[in-house]
Amino acid sequence: MFLFRLRSSRVFSLAVTMVVYAVLILNKAGGLIYQRDFNPGLQKLSSNDYLILAGTFHGVHAITSQISPTNETSSSGLEVLESENFVMRCFQTLTGTKFLIFAEPRQQNLDVVVRRVYELYADYVMKNPFYQIEMPIRSEGFDRHLTSYIKPHQ
Amino acid sequence: MVVYSFFIFDRHCECIYIRQWLNTASATQPLSRPVTASSAATVTTSVAEKPPSGGRLSMAEQAKLVFGVIFSLRNMVKKLCGPEDSFLCYRTGHYKLHYYETLSSLRFVMLTDIRTESLKSSLHQIYVNLYVEYVVKNPLSPVEHAGGEGVNNELFELGIDSFVRTID
Repeated sequence: MFLFRLRSSRVFSLAVTMVVYAVLILNKAGGLIYQRDFNPGLQKLSSNDYLILAGTFHGVHAITSQISPTNETSSSGLEVLESENFVMRCFQTLTGTKFLIFAEPRQQNLDVVVRRVYELYADYVMKNPFYQIEMPIRSEGFDRHLTSYIKPHQ
Repeated sequence: MVVYSFFIFDRHCECIYIRQWLNTASATQPLSRPVTASSAATVTTSVAEKPPSGGRLSMAEQAKLVFGVIFSLRNMVKKLCGPEDSFLCYRTGHYKLHYYETLSSLRFVMLTDIRTESLKSSLHQIYVNLYVEYVVKNPLSPVEHAGGEGVNNELFELGIDSFVRTID
Protein backbone atom coordinates (compact mmCIF):
# COMPACT_ATOMS: atom_id res chain seq x y z
CA MET A 1 0.00 0.00 0.00
CA PHE A 2 2.77 2.38 0.91
CA LEU A 3 4.67 1.47 -2.22
CA PHE A 4 1.63 2.00 -4.35
CA ARG A 5 1.06 5.40 -2.83
CA LEU A 6 4.67 6.34 -3.40
CA ARG A 7 4.47 5.36 -7.03
CA SER A 8 1.20 7.11 -7.75
CA SER A 9 2.40 10.28 -6.08
CA ARG A 10 5.30 10.61 -8.49
CA VAL A 11 4.39 13.20 -11.05
CA PHE A 12 6.70 12.05 -13.81
CA SER A 13 6.07 8.33 -13.79
CA LEU A 14 3.43 6.91 -16.07
CA ALA A 15 0.11 5.55 -14.96
CA VAL A 16 0.47 1.95 -13.81
CA THR A 17 -1.82 0.70 -16.54
CA MET A 18 0.30 2.14 -19.37
CA VAL A 19 2.55 -0.32 -21.17
CA VAL A 20 5.11 1.11 -23.55
CA TYR A 21 6.91 -1.51 -25.63
CA ALA A 22 9.67 0.51 -27.23
CA VAL A 23 10.94 3.97 -28.06
CA LEU A 24 12.71 4.81 -31.31
CA ILE A 25 14.21 8.12 -32.37
CA LEU A 26 14.94 8.88 -36.03
CA ASN A 27 17.05 11.76 -37.24
CA LYS A 28 15.90 14.00 -40.08
CA ALA A 29 17.57 11.82 -42.72
CA GLY A 30 15.71 8.70 -41.58
CA GLY A 31 18.61 7.20 -39.69
CA LEU A 32 17.95 5.42 -36.44
CA ILE A 33 19.70 7.26 -33.61
CA TYR A 34 18.06 5.63 -30.59
CA GLN A 35 16.26 2.37 -29.97
CA ARG A 36 15.26 0.89 -26.66
CA ASP A 37 12.85 -1.86 -25.61
CA PHE A 38 11.01 -1.39 -22.32
CA ASN A 39 8.48 -4.20 -22.15
CA PRO A 40 8.20 -7.48 -24.04
CA GLY A 41 5.54 -7.33 -26.72
CA LEU A 42 7.39 -6.75 -29.95
CA GLN A 43 9.64 -9.21 -31.73
CA LYS A 44 13.38 -8.97 -31.15
CA LEU A 45 15.01 -7.60 -34.26
CA SER A 46 18.65 -7.30 -35.19
CA SER A 47 20.13 -3.82 -35.21
CA ASN A 48 20.31 -4.02 -39.00
CA ASP A 49 16.58 -4.75 -39.17
CA TYR A 50 15.88 -1.76 -36.97
CA LEU A 51 17.87 0.44 -39.33
CA ILE A 52 15.87 -0.89 -42.30
CA LEU A 53 12.65 -0.34 -40.39
CA ALA A 54 13.60 3.25 -39.61
CA GLY A 55 14.48 3.97 -43.21
CA THR A 56 11.26 2.40 -44.48
CA PHE A 57 9.18 4.33 -42.00
CA HIS A 58 10.89 7.56 -42.99
CA GLY A 59 9.85 6.98 -46.61
CA VAL A 60 6.32 5.93 -45.71
CA HIS A 61 5.94 9.01 -43.54
CA ALA A 62 6.88 11.21 -46.49
CA ILE A 63 4.40 9.45 -48.79
CA THR A 64 1.53 9.62 -46.31
CA SER A 65 1.85 13.40 -46.29
CA GLN A 66 1.51 13.39 -50.10
CA ILE A 67 -1.74 11.42 -50.12
CA SER A 68 -4.24 14.09 -49.20
CA PRO A 69 -7.87 13.42 -50.02
CA THR A 70 -8.85 16.78 -48.58
CA ASN A 71 -8.04 20.08 -50.22
CA GLU A 72 -5.16 20.98 -47.96
CA THR A 73 -2.02 21.13 -50.05
CA SER A 74 0.33 19.94 -47.34
CA SER A 75 -0.76 17.32 -44.90
CA SER A 76 1.16 16.15 -41.89
CA GLY A 77 2.52 12.65 -42.19
CA LEU A 78 1.49 9.55 -40.32
CA GLU A 79 0.68 10.25 -36.68
CA VAL A 80 -0.90 7.10 -35.25
CA LEU A 81 -0.57 3.56 -36.59
CA GLU A 82 -2.81 0.83 -35.21
CA SER A 83 -2.46 -2.90 -35.57
CA GLU A 84 -3.98 -5.89 -33.76
CA ASN A 85 -1.20 -6.03 -31.17
CA PHE A 86 0.18 -2.55 -30.77
CA VAL A 87 -0.35 1.12 -31.42
CA MET A 88 2.43 3.40 -32.56
CA ARG A 89 2.50 7.16 -32.04
CA CYS A 90 4.83 9.19 -34.24
CA PHE A 91 5.74 12.76 -33.40
CA GLN A 92 7.81 14.82 -35.79
CA THR A 93 9.54 17.90 -34.48
CA LEU A 94 9.90 21.05 -36.56
CA THR A 95 13.50 20.08 -37.30
CA GLY A 96 12.45 16.71 -38.71
CA THR A 97 13.45 14.43 -35.85
CA LYS A 98 10.85 11.70 -35.34
CA PHE A 99 9.92 10.07 -32.05
CA LEU A 100 8.17 6.70 -32.30
CA ILE A 101 6.44 5.23 -29.28
CA PHE A 102 5.15 1.66 -29.48
CA ALA A 103 2.55 0.78 -26.85
CA GLU A 104 -0.30 -1.54 -26.05
CA PRO A 105 -3.40 -1.11 -28.23
CA ARG A 106 -6.08 1.33 -27.08
CA GLN A 107 -3.71 3.60 -25.21
CA GLN A 108 -5.23 7.05 -25.12
CA ASN A 109 -2.67 9.49 -23.79
CA LEU A 110 0.34 8.67 -25.95
CA ASP A 111 0.56 12.33 -26.94
CA VAL A 112 1.60 13.15 -23.39
CA VAL A 113 4.21 10.39 -23.40
CA VAL A 114 5.75 11.45 -26.68
CA ARG A 115 5.94 15.09 -25.55
CA ARG A 116 7.63 14.06 -22.35
CA VAL A 117 10.16 11.92 -24.23
CA TYR A 118 10.84 14.94 -26.45
CA GLU A 119 11.38 17.05 -23.33
CA LEU A 120 13.85 14.52 -21.95
CA TYR A 121 15.61 14.45 -25.33
CA ALA A 122 15.90 18.23 -25.29
CA ASP A 123 17.20 18.24 -21.72
CA TYR A 124 19.62 15.33 -21.72
CA VAL A 125 20.68 14.92 -25.34
CA MET A 126 20.56 18.33 -26.98
CA LYS A 127 21.99 20.10 -23.95
CA ASN A 128 24.85 17.64 -23.73
CA PRO A 129 27.92 19.48 -25.09
CA PHE A 130 29.52 16.22 -26.22
CA TYR A 131 26.59 15.09 -28.33
CA GLN A 132 27.15 15.29 -32.06
CA ILE A 133 23.97 16.21 -33.83
CA GLU A 134 22.28 13.54 -36.02
CA MET A 135 24.52 10.85 -34.48
CA PRO A 136 23.40 7.89 -32.34
CA ILE A 137 22.44 8.87 -28.81
CA ARG A 138 24.67 7.47 -26.08
CA SER A 139 23.71 9.38 -23.00
CA GLU A 140 23.44 7.76 -19.61
CA GLY A 141 21.32 10.57 -18.24
CA PHE A 142 18.80 10.24 -21.04
CA ASP A 143 18.66 6.45 -20.54
CA ARG A 144 18.16 6.80 -16.82
CA HIS A 145 15.44 9.42 -16.99
CA LEU A 146 13.63 7.60 -19.77
CA THR A 147 13.61 4.41 -17.70
CA SER A 148 12.29 6.18 -14.66
CA TYR A 149 9.54 7.76 -16.75
CA ILE A 150 8.53 4.65 -18.68
CA LYS A 151 8.80 2.09 -15.93
CA PRO A 152 8.85 -1.57 -16.89
CA HIS A 153 5.32 -2.68 -16.21
CA GLN A 154 5.32 -5.16 -13.35
CA MET B 1 -18.13 10.93 -40.85
CA VAL B 2 -16.80 11.55 -44.35
CA VAL B 3 -15.57 8.86 -46.71
CA TYR B 4 -13.12 10.27 -49.25
CA SER B 5 -12.17 7.30 -51.38
CA PHE B 6 -12.11 3.54 -51.61
CA PHE B 7 -9.60 1.22 -53.29
CA ILE B 8 -9.37 -2.52 -53.93
CA PHE B 9 -6.03 -4.12 -54.76
CA ASP B 10 -5.76 -7.71 -55.96
CA ARG B 11 -3.09 -10.29 -55.15
CA HIS B 12 -0.99 -9.15 -58.11
CA CYS B 13 -0.65 -5.76 -56.40
CA GLU B 14 -2.83 -4.19 -59.06
CA CYS B 15 -5.52 -1.66 -58.30
CA ILE B 16 -8.77 -3.21 -59.56
CA TYR B 17 -11.24 -0.69 -58.25
CA ILE B 18 -11.14 3.02 -57.41
CA ARG B 19 -14.04 5.00 -56.10
CA GLN B 20 -13.89 8.60 -55.02
CA TRP B 21 -16.55 10.58 -53.24
CA LEU B 22 -15.67 14.16 -53.95
CA ASN B 23 -16.20 16.71 -51.25
CA THR B 24 -18.36 19.65 -52.25
CA ALA B 25 -15.53 22.16 -52.53
CA SER B 26 -13.72 20.27 -55.28
CA ALA B 27 -16.67 18.71 -57.07
CA THR B 28 -15.70 18.79 -60.71
CA GLN B 29 -17.80 15.84 -61.77
CA PRO B 30 -21.13 14.47 -60.59
CA LEU B 31 -20.96 12.53 -57.34
CA SER B 32 -22.76 9.42 -58.39
CA ARG B 33 -22.57 8.86 -62.08
CA PRO B 34 -25.07 6.52 -63.66
CA VAL B 35 -23.41 3.29 -64.69
CA THR B 36 -24.71 1.29 -67.61
CA ALA B 37 -23.34 -1.93 -69.00
CA SER B 38 -21.58 -0.14 -71.84
CA SER B 39 -19.98 2.52 -69.68
CA ALA B 40 -19.10 0.15 -66.87
CA ALA B 41 -15.93 -1.05 -68.55
CA THR B 42 -14.59 2.47 -68.97
CA VAL B 43 -15.35 3.72 -65.48
CA THR B 44 -11.98 2.90 -63.98
CA THR B 45 -10.03 4.30 -66.89
CA SER B 46 -12.01 7.53 -67.03
CA VAL B 47 -11.35 8.10 -63.35
CA ALA B 48 -7.75 7.02 -63.68
CA GLU B 49 -6.99 9.33 -66.58
CA LYS B 50 -8.39 12.38 -64.90
CA PRO B 51 -5.57 14.93 -64.97
CA PRO B 52 -4.35 16.26 -61.64
CA SER B 53 -6.19 19.47 -60.83
CA GLY B 54 -4.53 22.24 -58.88
CA GLY B 55 -1.41 20.28 -57.94
CA ARG B 56 -3.36 17.41 -56.46
CA LEU B 57 -2.53 13.88 -57.49
CA SER B 58 -4.72 12.02 -59.93
CA MET B 59 -6.55 9.02 -58.55
CA ALA B 60 -4.28 6.57 -60.41
CA GLU B 61 -1.18 8.14 -58.89
CA GLN B 62 -2.83 8.28 -55.52
CA ALA B 63 -3.67 4.57 -55.79
CA LYS B 64 0.01 3.79 -56.43
CA LEU B 65 1.08 5.79 -53.40
CA VAL B 66 -1.60 4.17 -51.25
CA PHE B 67 -0.48 0.73 -52.30
CA GLY B 68 3.15 1.56 -51.55
CA VAL B 69 2.23 2.76 -48.10
CA ILE B 70 0.01 -0.18 -47.14
CA PHE B 71 2.53 -2.67 -48.52
CA SER B 72 5.38 -1.17 -46.49
CA LEU B 73 3.36 -0.74 -43.32
CA ARG B 74 1.97 -4.26 -43.56
CA ASN B 75 5.48 -5.70 -43.85
CA MET B 76 6.69 -3.46 -41.05
CA VAL B 77 3.92 -4.62 -38.71
CA LYS B 78 4.51 -8.27 -39.60
CA LYS B 79 8.19 -7.87 -38.88
CA LEU B 80 7.56 -6.20 -35.53
CA CYS B 81 4.77 -8.43 -34.23
CA GLY B 82 5.03 -11.70 -36.10
CA PRO B 83 3.17 -12.95 -39.19
CA GLU B 84 -0.23 -13.27 -37.51
CA ASP B 85 -0.47 -9.57 -36.71
CA SER B 86 -2.16 -7.29 -39.21
CA PHE B 87 -2.14 -3.59 -39.78
CA LEU B 88 -5.56 -1.97 -39.20
CA CYS B 89 -5.38 1.73 -39.85
CA TYR B 90 -3.26 4.83 -39.62
CA ARG B 91 -4.13 8.45 -39.06
CA THR B 92 -2.45 11.67 -40.13
CA GLY B 93 -3.50 15.22 -39.34
CA HIS B 94 -5.97 15.28 -42.24
CA TYR B 95 -7.24 11.81 -42.98
CA LYS B 96 -7.40 8.24 -41.77
CA LEU B 97 -6.68 5.13 -43.83
CA HIS B 98 -8.42 1.85 -43.00
CA TYR B 99 -7.07 -1.43 -44.26
CA TYR B 100 -8.49 -4.91 -44.51
CA GLU B 101 -6.81 -7.89 -46.15
CA THR B 102 -8.56 -11.15 -46.99
CA LEU B 103 -6.86 -14.54 -46.91
CA SER B 104 -6.64 -14.44 -50.70
CA SER B 105 -4.51 -11.25 -50.45
CA LEU B 106 -7.28 -9.03 -51.66
CA ARG B 107 -6.79 -5.62 -50.03
CA PHE B 108 -9.55 -3.17 -49.23
CA VAL B 109 -8.55 0.39 -48.38
CA MET B 110 -10.79 3.24 -47.35
CA LEU B 111 -9.79 6.84 -46.74
CA THR B 112 -12.00 8.73 -44.31
CA ASP B 113 -11.81 11.76 -42.06
CA ILE B 114 -9.87 11.43 -38.81
CA ARG B 115 -12.81 11.14 -36.41
CA THR B 116 -13.99 7.84 -37.85
CA GLU B 117 -13.73 4.78 -35.62
CA SER B 118 -12.19 1.55 -36.86
CA LEU B 119 -13.78 0.36 -40.09
CA LYS B 120 -12.34 -3.15 -40.12
CA SER B 121 -15.73 -4.80 -39.76
CA SER B 122 -17.27 -2.49 -42.37
CA LEU B 123 -14.58 -3.41 -44.89
CA HIS B 124 -15.16 -7.05 -44.07
CA GLN B 125 -18.86 -6.53 -44.72
CA ILE B 126 -18.06 -4.95 -48.08
CA TYR B 127 -16.03 -8.03 -48.96
CA VAL B 128 -18.63 -10.55 -47.80
CA ASN B 129 -21.85 -8.84 -48.81
CA LEU B 130 -20.82 -6.92 -51.92
CA TYR B 131 -17.60 -8.24 -53.42
CA VAL B 132 -18.38 -11.93 -53.01
CA GLU B 133 -22.04 -11.51 -53.95
CA TYR B 134 -21.73 -9.28 -56.98
CA VAL B 135 -18.22 -9.88 -58.31
CA VAL B 136 -17.15 -13.39 -57.32
CA LYS B 137 -20.57 -14.96 -57.87
CA ASN B 138 -21.14 -13.13 -61.14
CA PRO B 139 -20.82 -15.75 -63.91
CA LEU B 140 -19.82 -13.09 -66.45
CA SER B 141 -16.98 -11.77 -64.32
CA PRO B 142 -13.46 -13.06 -65.08
CA VAL B 143 -11.39 -14.81 -62.40
CA GLU B 144 -8.63 -12.23 -62.53
CA HIS B 145 -9.73 -8.64 -62.70
CA ALA B 146 -6.97 -7.15 -64.82
CA GLY B 147 -7.64 -3.45 -65.29
CA GLY B 148 -10.67 -3.60 -63.03
CA GLU B 149 -12.66 -5.74 -65.42
CA GLY B 150 -15.69 -7.32 -63.80
CA VAL B 151 -15.47 -5.42 -60.54
CA ASN B 152 -17.21 -2.20 -61.46
CA ASN B 153 -20.59 -3.62 -62.35
CA GLU B 154 -23.75 -1.73 -61.59
CA LEU B 155 -24.90 -3.76 -58.59
CA PHE B 156 -21.51 -3.53 -56.91
CA GLU B 157 -21.31 0.22 -57.42
CA LEU B 158 -24.82 0.78 -56.11
CA GLY B 159 -24.09 -1.48 -53.16
CA ILE B 160 -20.92 0.42 -52.31
CA ASP B 161 -22.77 3.72 -52.57
CA SER B 162 -25.60 2.70 -50.29
CA PHE B 163 -23.19 1.00 -47.88
CA VAL B 164 -21.08 4.13 -47.54
CA ARG B 165 -24.24 6.11 -46.84
CA THR B 166 -25.17 3.76 -44.01
CA ILE B 167 -21.79 4.12 -42.31
CA ASP B 168 -21.96 7.91 -42.69
